[in-house]
Amino acid sequence: MNENFTKFTALVRYSIRRILLSKKIVFLLVGLGFTVAVMGYASTQDVEKLWVGAGLMSGLIISFMVPITTMIYGSTIIQDDIEDRSITQIISSPIDRVLSYLGYYLAIVICLSAMLMAITTAGFISFFGPLGIDSASLSIYIDITALVFIGTLVYSSLFMLVSLMTSKAVYFGLFYAFIWEGFVGSLPGNIQKVAISHYIKSISSSWIEYISLDNASGLMLSFYILFALIVSLISFGCLLFRTKEFP
Amino acid sequence: MMDIKQEKDRGDNVPLIEANDLSKWYGEVIGLNSFNVEISSGITGIVGPNGAGKSTFFKIAIGLIKPNSGALKVMGEDPWLNLKLAARVGFCPDYDNLSNDSTGERFLKLIGGLHGMSGNSLTKRVEEVTEIVGLENEIHRNIGGYSMGMRQKIKLAGSILPNSDLLFLDEPLSGTDPKSRKSLIEVIKSLYEEQGHDVVVSSHVLPEIEKMTSRVVLIYKGRRIASGEISEIRELIDKYPHQIIIEGSEMSELAKGLLDIESTISVGFEDDRNRIKVEVSNLDDFFGALPEVVVNKNIEIESMYSVDEGLEAVFKYLVEE
Repeated sequence: MNENFTKFTALVRYSIRRILLSKKIVFLLVGLGFTVAVMGYASTQDVEKLWVGAGLMSGLIISFMVPITTMIYGSTIIQDDIEDRSITQIISSPIDRVLSYLGYYLAIVICLSAMLMAITTAGFISFFGPLGIDSASLSIYIDITALVFIGTLVYSSLFMLVSLMTSKAVYFGLFYAFIWEGFVGSLPGNIQKVAISHYIKSISSSWIEYISLDNASGLMLSFYILFALIVSLISFGCLLFRTKEFP
Repeated sequence: MMDIKQEKDRGDNVPLIEANDLSKWYGEVIGLNSFNVEISSGITGIVGPNGAGKSTFFKIAIGLIKPNSGALKVMGEDPWLNLKLAARVGFCPDYDNLSNDSTGERFLKLIGGLHGMSGNSLTKRVEEVTEIVGLENEIHRNIGGYSMGMRQKIKLAGSILPNSDLLFLDEPLSGTDPKSRKSLIEVIKSLYEEQGHDVVVSSHVLPEIEKMTSRVVLIYKGRRIASGEISEIRELIDKYPHQIIIEGSEMSELAKGLLDIESTISVGFEDDRNRIKVEVSNLDDFFGALPEVVVNKNIEIESMYSVDEGLEAVFKYLVEE
């Protein structure tokens, strides 16, 4: 087996274990309970199943759970290792720092995608279960799941980078998630295009006919912008991590 | 600054480690200040009080941080972002970087994995190093249940796991009980004598280092103040007067008697009449003559200690030359 691959997988496995054993898992459990409660309650109301179901999953999971969860984990995954000094094992090992950074990123994407998809599934079942699961609702579920993955990729790359630039990454994350993404991203007009959420919503409105967005960007343009953003954020993060000192 | 050139053990003229005018500061705090040293193969002790710059030196040597000025060569190479060198160097930090919910085995396998080791060869190596440090029966337990001595041993095992040529052991004895300390000292000695690793080990306690090696570098306030054989350094230290505090009753009588001892330089009273400070030129002569004075004058001594015991005081002597 390639030696670099062995080093990389060792780091990814280590980080996944740290994420899963972290006390922050409580946030996810609360998020899971909240999603199930809201969607379960909504299913008891007299609602237009597909419109309300798609809107709820988009609003609760894509616009709320994904940025908040990636903020909590993304802004702390490296900082936690720095604080308890376990980063020494990584930095003093003969593994390229770029590879290390990518290992942290992959670990967070794997864990958060899996956990957020579990929340998506629980929310889906709690809402569509009582109202009847059909091919249209399954299609919404698959699209939302794919959007969860895209959101995890882009927000994780952002919050991991921020954690290298400031030790107060969580404060920045809270501001960004609530004020920037939540508020600016929902303003009318072109101003909303400065928020990541606009492009994710644009994709969702293209994919899911029960979600509409005024002023939506084109599907391919949204993909290109998000892809460019992920590549830029990860590249800048790798560069910062490579030159960072760990006293 | 005093300089006692040390001889190289292995006839190898290339220094294992060479620091030239190495400086590192953290904001306004100086970690290393024009630090110069040459370390050759074998076990070398870096001795200095807390905050002297030992850990800063180690962190530069393993590439965790880079110097602000000067140069450090480890086995002829710059350690910053040097993966080839990182593969040849092991590090045991002075701080606890262990995860309590991990077993000793998992910790070692992580380090092995990060060095590109896997499969049976890694499992075999884990068994070997746990045997070397004497943790073979504890390896499947959670680190959270380890004693301080065991935690130091598992860190030590982690540093030797990749079979590194050179080991940096930063305060490996700190916080351990006497029994663990004794066993760790034996392990560290065997790392060079039996396993063939070169070792640079730090401590703020000179006698601890003395049990592992005769070669030391004294570091104080970020500077090397002496290096060489411990015996030579002890001679240097002995050139300076030692101060001893004695507490008890009838101290004025004792003071008169002490002045008759040839090695006594001066005697003075401290805060009260029950406590005196004696300045002596030769500790052995003084302690040889002291019992007779005490018995003759029928004096009861409650306590007696040297104010030179702290390494800080010894270093101040050396720096003030």
